[in-house]
Amino acid sequence: MTNKVKTVAEVVQTIPDGSHIALGGFAINRGCIAVSHELIRQQKKNLTLSQGVVGLDTDLLVGAGLVSRLIMGGGSLDRFGPVHCVNRARESRSVDAHDYSSLTICFRYLAGALGLSFIPVKSLLASEVLERLEAGSAAKDVQRMKCPFTGEEYLLLRALNPDVSFVHVQVADYDGNSQIHGARWENEEQAKAGRRVIVITEELVPTEYIQRFPEKTIIPAHRVEAVIHQPFGAHPTAVFQCYDFDADHLRLYVDHVKRVERVPEYLKTYVLGTKDHWEYLDKVGGLRRMNELKADRVLGY
Amino acid sequence: MSGVRGTEIMAAAGAREIRDGEVVVVGIGLPWVACVLAKRTHAPRLTFLLEIGVMNAEPKDTPVGVADPRNFYRATCWTSFRDVMGMSLQRGVVDVGFLGTLEIDGFGNLNTTLLKDESGKVRYFNGSAGGNDTASLARRVIVIMRHEKRKLRQAVAHLTSPGFVGGRGRRELGLRGDGPHRLITDNAIIGFDPDTHAAMLLSLHPVARLEDVVENTGFPLRIPSEVPTTPLPTPEEVRLLQEEIDPKGIYLG
Repeated sequence: MTNKVKTVAEVVQTIPDGSHIALGGFAINRGCIAVSHELIRQQKKNLTLSQGVVGLDTDLLVGAGLVSRLIMGGGSLDRFGPVHCVNRARESRSVDAHDYSSLTICFRYLAGALGLSFIPVKSLLASEVLERLEAGSAAKDVQRMKCPFTGEEYLLLRALNPDVSFVHVQVADYDGNSQIHGARWENEEQAKAGRRVIVITEELVPTEYIQRFPEKTIIPAHRVEAVIHQPFGAHPTAVFQCYDFDADHLRLYVDHVKRVERVPEYLKTYVLGTKDHWEYLDKVGGLRRMNELKADRVLGY
Repeated sequence: MSGVRGTEIMAAAGAREIRDGEVVVVGIGLPWVACVLAKRTHAPRLTFLLEIGVMNAEPKDTPVGVADPRNFYRATCWTSFRDVMGMSLQRGVVDVGFLGTLEIDGFGNLNTTLLKDESGKVRYFNGSAGGNDTASLARRVIVIMRHEKRKLRQAVAHLTSPGFVGGRGRRELGLRGDGPHRLITDNAIIGFDPDTHAAMLLSLHPVARLEDVVENTGFPLRIPSEVPTTPLPTPEEVRLLQEEIDPKGIYLG
C-alpha cells in the first residue's frame, strides 16, 4: 500500500494555470472549500470549472476571478440565495458559461469515466438550453442524431474529462480508497472521468476499516493520485454524518458577495488573510463552532 | 374556512394530483411540500425521488434545499444523478415530475434560467439543474407557482424546460413523457387540452376571482362556461402542513 497523503497546498502547486478542474460539491453540501481557498491563495488563473449543480466551492473561485469557462448544469446556495458571483459573471460575460442540466453534465462525465468519446441522452431536446449550446463555443460538444436502430431522435454529448477532479468524502484510507455516505449526485462519474483524481477526506482510516465496508467504496485507490486529510474541509457546507452546514457563515458569505464591491473583503478576511484551512477554521469560530456544527449521530446533520 | 393561506391551498391541490403507488421526482419548495403531504395522507406508497440521489427519505426537519442533509434522513436508498435521472427518469418509470419555475407560458414551457427587464438587461438565476431532465422525461409534469402576470407569460424569456413547444406534440418534439399536465397557482388549477395542448382553466380556488385570474394570466386561457371550485385543504391537511411539514413557514410563507 502506498501513502498518498499530501497537503492541499502541495497538490494545488502541481496544477497549471488554464487547467480544467471539476469540483464535487452540490450547492451547500460537500463543497471542496479547502481546495477553492488554496486555488485562490495560489492565484491559479484562467481555469475551466465543471460541476453538476454549482455551489459555494465554484462561486468562490468565480468571485476571485480565477475562472474563464464554466461547464455547469445549474447552481444555487439553496435557501441562502443564488450563486451571486457565478450569476454576475454570466451577466457581465466575464466567463464563457456552457449551460447544461444535471443529467447531461453527469452523462458527459459518465462517458469520460467509461472511456467513451460520446454518449446519447434524451434531455435538452427542444429547449433553448440546447439552442444556446449549439450557437456558442460549446457547439463542438453537442450533436443531434437519430438512433441508427430505431430512428428516435437523440442528443449526443461529447465526453468530459477534467484535468483534475476533486471530491470531498467522509472516509478514505492512505491509499485513496474513498467512501461517501448519503447522496452522491455525480461524484462517482465526475471523479472517474478525471485525468487526475484527488480526494479530500474528513477522516483518514486504515485499510482494514475500508475492508469492513467495501460496498461503500465509491472511488477505489487505483484511480486516486493523492489524499488530502482536512477535517472540516467543506465548512461552511455540510458533510453528512460529520457536520451540518454553517447557516451563520453562509448568510455572512451571501451578505458579502451579493454586492460585487464586497467580494474582495470576504476573500481578504477568510481566504487570502489565512495561511491555510486550519487558520480559516480558527477565524470562523474554531473548535467551539465546529463542535456546535458536529452532526447528531442519529440525524446525520 | 378562513385563515387558510394561498400556499396551503396550492400544496393540498398539488397533493391531490398524486395517486398512491406512483413514482415522483420532486423539486424543492412547494413541490416538496405537496408531495410530502400526499405521502402523509392518501399516497403512503408514493415513491419519492430527489435528483441529488435520495429515495423515500422521511425528513424530521424541513430541508432548506435539495442539498440539505435533512433530506437524507431515513431514506431507503442513497444514490446518484445517474440512478435517479438516468435509470428512473430516462428509463421511463417516473409517473410525475413535480416542479417550480420562474416563468411558464401557455404551452407549459418553463424558464428557470434568466429574466430580462424592459431595457433587455439579463439577470441570471439557478438554471436547469434537474428541471429540464424532469420536464423532458417524466410521464406527466405538474408545475406549482404564484399566479402573477409577469410569471404566466405569453412567451418565456428563456425556454429552459420544454412542455408542448410551439403547441407541438411531445413525440414530434423528440421528447418522452406526455408533457405538462397541471399548473397549480394560488388562484387556480390549469390543465392543457389533450389535442391542441392549449391552457384551460380547470378550477378556481375559493379565495380567487375569475376576472383576476384572466387579468393575471399572460397567455390565452380557455374558460369553461361553469368553473368548478377547488376544494379547500381539510383541517387535517392544514394541521400536517403547519405543524409537521413546514412549521417554520420556509416554503408556506
